[in-house]
Amino acid sequence: MSIFKDHKRHSDRSATDRSRHKKKIEYAIREGIHHIVSDESIIGQDGKKKIKIPVRGIREYRFVFGDNPFNKKVGSAPGKNIKRGQVIRKKKQGDEDQNKPGSEPGEEYYEVEITLEELSHYLFDSLDLPDLEKKKFKNIVGEKYRRSGYRKKGIRPRLDKKQTLINKIRRKKKSQISTSLDEENRFPFHQDDLKYRHIKEHPRDIANAVIFFMMDVSGSMTQSKKFMARSFFFLLYHFLRARYNNTEIVFISHTTEAREVSEDEFFTRVNSGGTFLSSALQLCQGIIQKRYHPKSWNIYMFHCSDGDNWPQDNEKSMTLSRELKLLSQLYCYVEIIPSNPDEQGFSLIDDLKMSATYAPLKDSKFKIVQLTSPDDIWPEFRRIFGGST
Amino acid sequence: MSDWNMNILTEWDEKICKVADKFGLDGFPISYEVCDYYDMIGNMSYHGMPTHYHHWSYGKAFERTHLLYNTGLTGLPYELIINSNPSLAYLMKENSLYLQILIMAHCMGHSDFFKNNRCFENTFPDTVVSKFRNAKKRVQKYIEDPSIGLDSVESVLDSARAIQFQINRYDQKRLSHAEIKSDYIERINNDAHGDYENFNLNKVPLEPDYDILAFIDEFGTHIEEWKKDLINIVREEALYFIPQIKTKILNEGWASFWHYKILHELDLPQEYHIPFLKSHNQVIRPHLGDINPYHLGFHLFKKIEENQGIEECFFTREIHDDVSAIRCLIDRKDCEELNLFSYSSKKKSVSIDEISDEDGWKKVKNDLINNIGMSSMPVVFIKELEHAGILVLEHEHDGRDLELSFAEEVVRHISNLWENEVRLFTIIEEDTWEI
Repeated sequence: MSIFKDHKRHSDRSATDRSRHKKKIEYAIREGIHHIVSDESIIGQDGKKKIKIPVRGIREYRFVFGDNPFNKKVGSAPGKNIKRGQVIRKKKQGDEDQNKPGSEPGEEYYEVEITLEELSHYLFDSLDLPDLEKKKFKNIVGEKYRRSGYRKKGIRPRLDKKQTLINKIRRKKKSQISTSLDEENRFPFHQDDLKYRHIKEHPRDIANAVIFFMMDVSGSMTQSKKFMARSFFFLLYHFLRARYNNTEIVFISHTTEAREVSEDEFFTRVNSGGTFLSSALQLCQGIIQKRYHPKSWNIYMFHCSDGDNWPQDNEKSMTLSRELKLLSQLYCYVEIIPSNPDEQGFSLIDDLKMSATYAPLKDSKFKIVQLTSPDDIWPEFRRIFGGST
Repeated sequence: MSDWNMNILTEWDEKICKVADKFGLDGFPISYEVCDYYDMIGNMSYHGMPTHYHHWSYGKAFERTHLLYNTGLTGLPYELIINSNPSLAYLMKENSLYLQILIMAHCMGHSDFFKNNRCFENTFPDTVVSKFRNAKKRVQKYIEDPSIGLDSVESVLDSARAIQFQINRYDQKRLSHAEIKSDYIERINNDAHGDYENFNLNKVPLEPDYDILAFIDEFGTHIEEWKKDLINIVREEALYFIPQIKTKILNEGWASFWHYKILHELDLPQEYHIPFLKSHNQVIRPHLGDINPYHLGFHLFKKIEENQGIEECFFTREIHDDVSAIRCLIDRKDCEELNLFSYSSKKKSVSIDEISDEDGWKKVKNDLINNIGMSSMPVVFIKELEHAGILVLEHEHDGRDLELSFAEEVVRHISNLWENEVRLFTIIEEDTWEI
């Protein structure tokens, strides 16, 4: 005879362990975020769209045998005709390289679905625009909480003792009028006496900022270079959108001539031709003079190029950069030099690169960043905006 | 609506118990719990243990099964039963009556196996449930202790679980260092032939120690007590589950063998015959390119019954584990009939190495044994504790190389427990290798 019991669910027993597991995954997302950033597919998406990102499962390590010809497994195939050497599964390309992550045994991936906005939250939490000064004509909105009246309900720390006591005394006086209450009797607080301070979010102006996105789209910028430049700007774009409610962005793309373009054009435009960095700088200077007076605007400049400037333009670029550096909070020159020779295209040797020319300008306000592969983008980005890696 | 209620289940259970009794099955009494699929996945994640300490990996197991179930990639197992007295088993609300009958009959086999198989002698089924409950309480206590906390507890558990099964697999009682030493002293004292003339009694351990967690417990005088307690919790759980790992094929085979027999003896309504046979065939069907333990086990017991009679079946379920059973009982005919083959991963593809013909079947059988139960896990033992407190481990190489990326992480885990340097020696592509 057996016993039968109807199982009563007291609680969802694995809930604790699931949430702990989830935390670990979130941590893994944050750690491995640069792999996501360097993934081509997310560039050019808007913030609302959900993207699926593969996150490597949280592994439990054991001693296991390697997956190689010494490690024989056994299977059955009743009724099937089989012979020695028969291939039962072809490996995908890329599996061959045994050192590459992804070819290890028991590799587990979770697909985590998040929006770019949520991703931005993970990404940009600890980053800030450097040296944001308070200037005239405030435009950037920050948030601050201010007191705003009283409420009957609230959290304990916001209990206003004075108001509460006043209410109690008021009630006591009233009741003494209507009934002949004895002065000696205890008169306790009542729920209705309690008053809580109320606070409200107040938009507060902090500063106003304009950010110049300048990108070299000349012929020497190969597909992969442009991809890296765009990835960088894409990150920058979402960083600004996520962290600052009101910043203006000016998009400039240039060859030997510069043009102010729309956001869409900036991220998608294909071009070719020679390179005059100065053209963009000149346009930038013009726009600053017309629209963004340095007295009232925080100016940030980001310029992406592969550094193959035409030599006769170097001096002019140098002069302009020196002037622009004085006007801006941060001037960042991003040079893209793929380490893979196939992706370099026709290219100048290192000494003639623009970064070498710019080198004397380098200080806390003028940063020179070099990107050699998509994996560099995120760490460099964090460095610029004061993250810890 | 389901076609059963508790009373109907009780009626069928009585019949099943009667038939099982008549056949001579002698299991623990069974306590069934009826639950829905969500609770079933929950219970499965903890191997059916009604209480278990918290660890994130069980959350992972749950998510995995839940995802697979929801995407229809896998059905839930028909039965979940634990080795305890009484045996706890779970019945899923969503199943219809014929399936519940099948599962209850199946559980009869498992319970009998737990009670009578030699491997389970030291699993203490009377106290296991309270032991797990107790362990859970202790783990919880450490988590809530402000001087320890969740992160530290998790770090020790993660590391201990990494070497959970690096333990003596033959169910021998581990002797302490002092016991082994006194044994050697006796041998040296009675040494008539000079066998132990240059024997170094100061070496630690005197003999290779396969029980890494127990060694850390014994010699880690520098390790805090709460950590040792966690290490022992993990180790004892492994000791409890190893017999099940070692007898997966026989255990499932035995249960399938008996649900089939019992259901034939029951007066099943006509309309249940077809669904029953369908479910039975689904459970014991061979998996193409894989080994289905239900299938192989069922095949084995069927064969023994045909050739040697039912008594021999009972004998087999008592004395064998999977490795010994396959070694002794599988012959060329079986290999051919199941069309067993061995395969391995090459550079560009996975391909077949051996098939079950005259030249190949012995090799295939040998490879099969290497993949069963504990044999599928590498053997690593403690070779020496050096003077500086450095722990030296060695992998007992059997032709199969370790996966280095994993081994490195495990060594890191061991060193986390040992709180000192740990080295591992192994062989990779015929050269010694040190991690």
